[in-house]
Amino acid sequence: MTDEDDDGAIAGGAGDDTDDVAAGADGDETRLSRRWRALDRGWQALCLGLAIVAAHLVIYPV
Amino acid sequence: MTLLDDFRPYVPGLVLLGGGALFATLLGGAVPGLQPLVVAVAVGVAVANTVGVPAVAEPGASLHKLALETGIVLLGAAIALEELVAAGPTVLGLVVVAVAGGLLLSEAVARGLFRIEGTTPSLLAAGASVCGVSAVVAVGRVLEARGAALTFAAATVLLFDAVTLVAFPLAGEWLGLTGRQFGVWAGLSMFSTGPVAAAGFAHSVEAGQWATVTKLARNSLLGGVAIAYSVAYAARSATEPEARELWAEFPKFLLGFLLVAAIANAGVLSPAAIESVTAVSDGLFLVAFVGLGLSIRVRELRAVGLAPVGVVLIHLLVVSALTLAAVRALL
Repeated sequence: MTDEDDDGAIAGGAGDDTDDVAAGADGDETRLSRRWRALDRGWQALCLGLAIVAAHLVIYPV
Repeated sequence: MTLLDDFRPYVPGLVLLGGGALFATLLGGAVPGLQPLVVAVAVGVAVANTVGVPAVAEPGASLHKLALETGIVLLGAAIALEELVAAGPTVLGLVVVAVAGGLLLSEAVARGLFRIEGTTPSLLAAGASVCGVSAVVAVGRVLEARGAALTFAAATVLLFDAVTLVAFPLAGEWLGLTGRQFGVWAGLSMFSTGPVAAAGFAHSVEAGQWATVTKLARNSLLGGVAIAYSVAYAARSATEPEARELWAEFPKFLLGFLLVAAIANAGVLSPAAIESVTAVSDGLFLVAFVGLGLSIRVRELRAVGLAPVGVVLIHLLVVSALTLAAVRALL
């Protein structure tokens, strides 16, 4: 089977498994990491994507 | 604890995904006609079903879904909004008709023909019509479905994801569809976003972009479908439909895709930047497709029952035949 919910993802909230990674789940993690995990995957993708675009704006000015 | 420590558990899985993506790129480049994205899925399937994914690599490998969504956000830079706006009303109309018609068809076939009772018909209908497992989970949550029903519906959808991932690109080639026709057809007919994008890009870059955009439009209906089911099952469901629920099911990264498309089309990004952003998007898709392959377990797919397979097969055949006729006539 596949756990690809592609859409799982897609739903962001639905079937979202951003918290399915055990590492650091014991509270032994930085505040940034905790905040990042608190976001659903849709928001994480949006933030990462915009950060990459912002970096390109700096590296390749018009 | 430092950020580096937080990141460490993800490294083995990311190395696995990156290694698979690198191998797919090299092999795809060496063999003419072989799409690296298809190789990436195949590499993942081969690893998962032979040696398996080591436990230490699982945290990092699970990031493939984030890679897929981030790749889609960045895909916005390669989208010509003018073209999208021109075809938008037609594609949106097709999406709404395909989703609504697909839901009704699956419900009727499951309850009338296969005599499946309970919430399973609705879970199958949502999974096949909207967006795969996430739709099964979202609607299952609203309907308070049993775990077994969720598992069967999800496994059925995933079985078809694996089959259509191979069948659609072959059919598109055989039918001689243009990139736009194939992309919209795959986006309307297939189930989960990862396989839809993979099948689209296996045909051509243009098909991949249209497949992803069409699929995103379908995904955005998930909140509305979940609420419609909540209303329909109101007597059984303890939850009341709320705007908050609609928002909870909305795919937020879709906003990022639209935002990046708006930024790129506003002329803020230089051609070199757009080229580089598109290259990053391609790389993320490669990584995501290795992860997609890693998540396909052939042995588990064999356990799916015949009745759910019959329902989803009829749905797929009818919807894909009708949408094929529609895209050929309209696009």
